[in-house]
Amino acid sequence: MRKCLSFLRYYLSVYRRYISNNVARALSFRINFILLFFVDLAFYGSSFGSVSFIFDHVDTVGPWSRQEFLFFVAFMMAVDQIHMSLFMMSFWELSSDLREGRLDFSLLKPTGILFPVFFRHMRIGSMIAFPVPWVVMWYFGSEIGLGFVDWLCLPLFVVLAVALILVVEILLSAAMFWTFEGVGINFIRMQLQSISRWPDFIYGYLFQKTFTFVIPVLLVGSAPVHYLLGSSSYMILVAMLMAILVVSLLVNIVWKIALRRYESASS
Amino acid sequence: MNDTVIRCQGLTKNFRNYLQPPGVVGSLKSFFKREYRTVPAVTEFSFDAPRGQILGLLGPNGAGKTTLMKMLTGIIAPSSGEVRVLGYEPFRRPRDFRKRIALVMGQKSQLWWDIPALESFLLLRSYYEIPPQEFKIRLEEVSSLLGIEHLLQVHVRKLSLGERMKMELMACLLHNPEVLFLDEPTIGLDLVSQRNIRDFLLEYQRKHNTTIILTSHYMADVQALCSRIVLILGGRKRFDGPLLEFEKILGGEKFVNFSFSEPVVTSDSIWSNLAPEWNNDKTQVELRISDHDFRATAKEILERFPVTDMNTEKLPIERVMETLLRKPELLGAVDE
Amino acid sequence: MSNVLQRELSKWTQTVQISSANFLAYKGDVLLQVIGPAVVFFLIKYQLWSSIYDFADAEVIKGYTIQSMIEYQAWVMLVGFISQSYNSRHLAEDIRLGRISSYLLYPFEFWHFHTARFIAFQLIQLSIVAVSVVALYISGFLPSLTLSHFVIGALYTSLIGLLWFSIHFALGILAFWLDETWMLRVTFIIIANFFSGAVLPLELFPDALRSLLYLLPFPYMTYVPVKIFMGVYEGSVLYAISVVLLWITILSVLSRLIWARGIRLYTAAGM
Repeated sequence: MRKCLSFLRYYLSVYRRYISNNVARALSFRINFILLFFVDLAFYGSSFGSVSFIFDHVDTVGPWSRQEFLFFVAFMMAVDQIHMSLFMMSFWELSSDLREGRLDFSLLKPTGILFPVFFRHMRIGSMIAFPVPWVVMWYFGSEIGLGFVDWLCLPLFVVLAVALILVVEILLSAAMFWTFEGVGINFIRMQLQSISRWPDFIYGYLFQKTFTFVIPVLLVGSAPVHYLLGSSSYMILVAMLMAILVVSLLVNIVWKIALRRYESASS
Repeated sequence: MNDTVIRCQGLTKNFRNYLQPPGVVGSLKSFFKREYRTVPAVTEFSFDAPRGQILGLLGPNGAGKTTLMKMLTGIIAPSSGEVRVLGYEPFRRPRDFRKRIALVMGQKSQLWWDIPALESFLLLRSYYEIPPQEFKIRLEEVSSLLGIEHLLQVHVRKLSLGERMKMELMACLLHNPEVLFLDEPTIGLDLVSQRNIRDFLLEYQRKHNTTIILTSHYMADVQALCSRIVLILGGRKRFDGPLLEFEKILGGEKFVNFSFSEPVVTSDSIWSNLAPEWNNDKTQVELRISDHDFRATAKEILERFPVTDMNTEKLPIERVMETLLRKPELLGAVDE
Repeated sequence: MSNVLQRELSKWTQTVQISSANFLAYKGDVLLQVIGPAVVFFLIKYQLWSSIYDFADAEVIKGYTIQSMIEYQAWVMLVGFISQSYNSRHLAEDIRLGRISSYLLYPFEFWHFHTARFIAFQLIQLSIVAVSVVALYISGFLPSLTLSHFVIGALYTSLIGLLWFSIHFALGILAFWLDETWMLRVTFIIIANFFSGAVLPLELFPDALRSLLYLLPFPYMTYVPVKIFMGVYEGSVLYAISVVLLWITILSVLSRLIWARGIRLYTAAGM
């Protein structure tokens, strides 16, 4: 217990420095900082626009009404928002670090490789847009009548969703050690994200099963939202937790193998 | 304490690559079918290093120095062979191991480019769990030794190459590593900066008895710092011994330069056994004189010719390297 | 004179060759980067629309049956293959990492180099499209494919490729001022995909928004070429072409201005 605590304290202290360094850097690029806000708004706007325009012409998509569907979209946006501000950069950095052999220093850090690789790079600018998805979620959440407990659980569900997509992506990114150019892998990663941005019921049987049980990205948003809307029992949350656990274990194994392939290209 | 810090036995690393013929046709061909080949980078390498030694790892580009360094630090996994650093297997990268070593690479930077170096140092403090008090002391000690106290709060991208290199060095020393790996730490620096870094390393090492493994293309670095030299050619160890012995590889000879106030007769019999290299107007010559005959020969030349200057070369080691690269057979056959 | 031309031409062909060799060198990634995203996007939309039509009361939504909606989306994918393949990631990186200095010394200009790269990529893309069209036609996704519409559509879409390239170039050289330009590009792609009809056919947009969009280049980038391919474009193709050419001209002029200012900044910084 005490060991666990000091372990936690250690990583928190390193993480605090990551934040402080990223903030220091972000603030020195003022234009970027402001631009990022508009970038995120565009992204949110187009996701909302698409769904909203579809509902101008139909009453339901699958079992969901406009409010329910837009609540799901907002939930996924909240997930994306955290993902974009805290993790997304790391995957792109990893691909260039690998190509240029810059992983060396991360390998030597006492933290273990995954922490500096996936937690160090942030997009502080994206944090400005933080309230947007939450406000939208609150709006549609009230329209569909979420209960008090539901509201309490909501932040936790968002965190779990981020955790799930993150471990899947970390597992996938190990493939960069084989392909040498990580850009392609990053594109696959983005595809998995776009699959997860739609509710599971729109997909055909085989597709849905594959991306729920083999590559569990459909659990990211669909599991918690189905639970909140009452269309699934708590078992779907258990499935989600299991998925996080299993993929994390795989990450450990696969990354060990991957690192043996690292050749550390010079300069 | 004179224990062995590094021990490697039969260390080998092979890389795999493929050839791509030029042009679109060639790249299309290799898109579908590639003939991979194995390229040995380091072969059957064995050596030990005791605590507190400064060991120079010499060799031309592509000889395998950096690969060896990366195996010693655990960045890449050896293909075969044994290696122990501080008793650990580097590639397993146990946490305690990582806390006790450091690597500086002249070609790569670990500092955050867009913020002041001090911020990176604070991050390192968290990484290595250095107590604040000790951190402060070390920060002051190292930065004043390097003369960069005033640059700690400057954005790294605004520093000159020499200043940045000092920061990189400093970043690696904050956690007081027992073994320090330096890969070309002075590359690209001007002579004064090179000298500064050398002086710093000597003084720092004397104080902390750090074991240092150094690679450099500048023989002045090696001459000034290293008590022992390991030569690597084509991935194999070809020499291992004290600096003085390395200088003697070519036999007990000195290279001596003479300058004369006027052209001298080059056909004189005194030159014939000394492998003379004349300049165009015959006012300067470089001679190879055996240690044994040095006094007598120098005396005769001084007496018979209008000598204005005479010097023996400053960096015999550079010439040894040069000669060895041209004629590696001087070291004897490779033992397979 | 012809000698000069010949030498100039050989520089170009050489660069095109090297670039395509470069693209092909990372074999898996060409497939992943170009084909993968488009196919996934298509698959998602295919399934989304299937499920929408399954539950909807009407068989026709804004003039689209399920078949024509899927055909629309299939063409969106193919238009993307031709027009949207090139990205200026390398261009921005060149500027940011100070590699531009070496180009400034070449007897070959920076934009020449990147245009040659673009042509190389385009050639690779066209061959991918040819294969995809055959595959999609056989699987029955493209019921209204005719040779004449395909030829006109492909030519028009290549022009859109040039438009995308001009946009990427203009955004890429903003790297003189910005630390990261890829987010600008990603944003632009998001906005353009949405407003060009790559996500939803423009008929589904509110009418006011639709007429506003025609003042911008977006509809011409996906919606118009898709309609041309499907053989149901109601407007004049020549008019569409002149609009696109106009936008390319505007962007080129803009790029020249940005470049001129940026390069002064760059050399002044002494990178």
